[in-house]
Amino acid sequence: MLRGPDARLRLIAMLLIAVLLLVLGQLVRLQVLQNARHHATVEVLVSREYALPEPPWGCITDRNGALLVGNTPVYDIGAEITLLRGADIEALAAELSPYLGVSEEALVMALTLPPGEPAAPRPYIWRPLAQGIALSHTEVLSLTRYSWLTLNPTWERYYAEGTLAAHTLGFVNQSGIGYGVQASQRRFLQGLTVSQIGQVAVNSNPLPDELAADFRFPYPGTDLRLTIDRTIQAFVEGELDYAVNEYQAEGGTIIVMDPRTGAILAMASRPSYEPSRYPDYAAQGENHLFWDPAVSIPYEPGSVFKVVTAAAALDSGRVDLDWSYVDTGRLEYGGVVIRNWDGGTYGQQNLEGLLTHSLNVGAGQLSTQVLGPDLFYQYVRAFGFGQPTGVELTNEAAGLVHLPSDWDWSDSYAVTNSFGQGIAVTPLQMAAAVAAIANDGVMMEPHLVAERNYPDGRTVTVSPRPLGQPISAETARILSGLMARVVERNMPEARVPGYRIAGKSGTSQIPGVGGYDPNAVIASFVGFGPLPNPEVLIFVKLDRPNVPPSMRWGSQIAAPTFQRIATRLFVMLGIPPADFVAGQ
Amino acid sequence: MSVIWQEKTHGVLKRKTRADRTLALVFVGVVVAVTLLGAIYLSVVAANVRLSREIWQMEEEMMALERENQALMVEVARLSSIPVLQERSQTLGFRAAEEVIYFSLGEP
Repeated sequence: MLRGPDARLRLIAMLLIAVLLLVLGQLVRLQVLQNARHHATVEVLVSREYALPEPPWGCITDRNGALLVGNTPVYDIGAEITLLRGADIEALAAELSPYLGVSEEALVMALTLPPGEPAAPRPYIWRPLAQGIALSHTEVLSLTRYSWLTLNPTWERYYAEGTLAAHTLGFVNQSGIGYGVQASQRRFLQGLTVSQIGQVAVNSNPLPDELAADFRFPYPGTDLRLTIDRTIQAFVEGELDYAVNEYQAEGGTIIVMDPRTGAILAMASRPSYEPSRYPDYAAQGENHLFWDPAVSIPYEPGSVFKVVTAAAALDSGRVDLDWSYVDTGRLEYGGVVIRNWDGGTYGQQNLEGLLTHSLNVGAGQLSTQVLGPDLFYQYVRAFGFGQPTGVELTNEAAGLVHLPSDWDWSDSYAVTNSFGQGIAVTPLQMAAAVAAIANDGVMMEPHLVAERNYPDGRTVTVSPRPLGQPISAETARILSGLMARVVERNMPEARVPGYRIAGKSGTSQIPGVGGYDPNAVIASFVGFGPLPNPEVLIFVKLDRPNVPPSMRWGSQIAAPTFQRIATRLFVMLGIPPADFVAGQ
Repeated sequence: MSVIWQEKTHGVLKRKTRADRTLALVFVGVVVAVTLLGAIYLSVVAANVRLSREIWQMEEEMMALERENQALMVEVARLSSIPVLQERSQTLGFRAAEEVIYFSLGEP
């Protein structure tokens, strides 16, 4: 028997200590000995990858602020099917089917637990049900009553003008691979998505103390303002469609640019595609449609290239307007014999005659006899051929220029390249080179992005960038005058009443296996105006026109297209005719 | 009669009583300090959690507004797209200009 208060106190104290030890023992068991097991159990229950709603990609507008590419809010919908134990799956599938656009059968399959998975050890199974579903507020509210349904707000790119400027705008797929300006400028356009693993509540939102830890919030993408003018682009695409249809061409390209800045006002190519439906094209094996012929598919430029040869000869100082040669109709050099396009003999000709009659023999004389291969190719490189222009588009081709130092060099290149044969360039390279002639010899970098508008309000204007000066301003003015006389004397199809236009046509053969295709050509024309201060350059190329051979010259089918575009473009850009300017 | 009572009634060394009192005061002081520190810690944590939740909610609201804004932008773009404008202008009787005449206007 315990006697006295001390003994009772000691007993109570011992009992309390025993209870305390018991509690401590349990704590040690749970927190130390079984820590790993319980931690793992909790991890499975509450630790999950979570993300704040994905921020939108930057919008793309034309130079006047009209939206070209925006974002449509949509939802990716999934289900935590482990929460559906005992539910009437077929009834749920019937209810959800109209919202998700998925068949009831498919939903039943998706919502049914796999056999043998009814209980622990895997308490959480999530399945995707539908992607990119546009839902109204009412529909969202109606779906949120299903606690097992996850609605992940996301975005879908919206192309405001449909297929307009498809090649230029391009797209980016889920893997981040794409085409056009969107792929090229992805680092600016794509926002910062936050996704990390942490503890989440029942609604899949992170627990508040997760946010108190190291957490970054999503950041929207940067908006881009392009140099493209959607009105000009739409008009140019209409004209391209008309020309392709009229001349039964397999494709074509038109580029409109400001030679003073290198800003591209419109760039269109056929065949084209609908950027919002790119997965369909990929599924049908039509990926070739994504390649932009304006920058990714080089071609032999033909006689348009003679302006480069003439520019080189003039700028070198080895010829002037008084220079002349005797055109015998043939020239043998490097083991090949070249003839004029019509097989004709033109006798005494000067530089103007060479360009007016587009004489291959004269161009060959300039590159081989007057300049020599080394100097000729110095100019060819200075005009940017054989290297990408740097325009903000993916998959830009460098083209193909054989140089005298190359292992596969043949002397014949020096003569054939002078009139655009045996050399491959992209339409944009050709346009940029001729733009240098229009811009007093200064070659500007072709560009599409005019401005970047960051989400924090900063605006960065992209300044025009000179790439160099391949020829002097004087040479450029002389050559512009020569090209203007070519149009005035020999090419009524390219004239625009009231405006002085400089231009050059080309009809090039298409190389294939075993030589040039005898039945197909590429007809092109490049021109700029109004002289003396050109504000716009237009490049037109039509691939494989299906018209009688006598009618498929660049001057016959590409020049009229140029004429139609230039006539309207001068009005659209508010450029008055010369007589009006003079009379003011 | 208990020992304590005996000590109180029969007189015990005052030094021991003083020591006991000091010990009790220290104990109470420690308990109060720990309680205060605990309360401050809990209030800071609670405030932190509340703030985090508010930030999260604001971020979600911003996202919701962003979605509405983008949806409206898309709708405006759809209504002002070239095909829609072209159709509307044709309905209103506009047509492409066949001739363009420039006028020279004097300085205002």
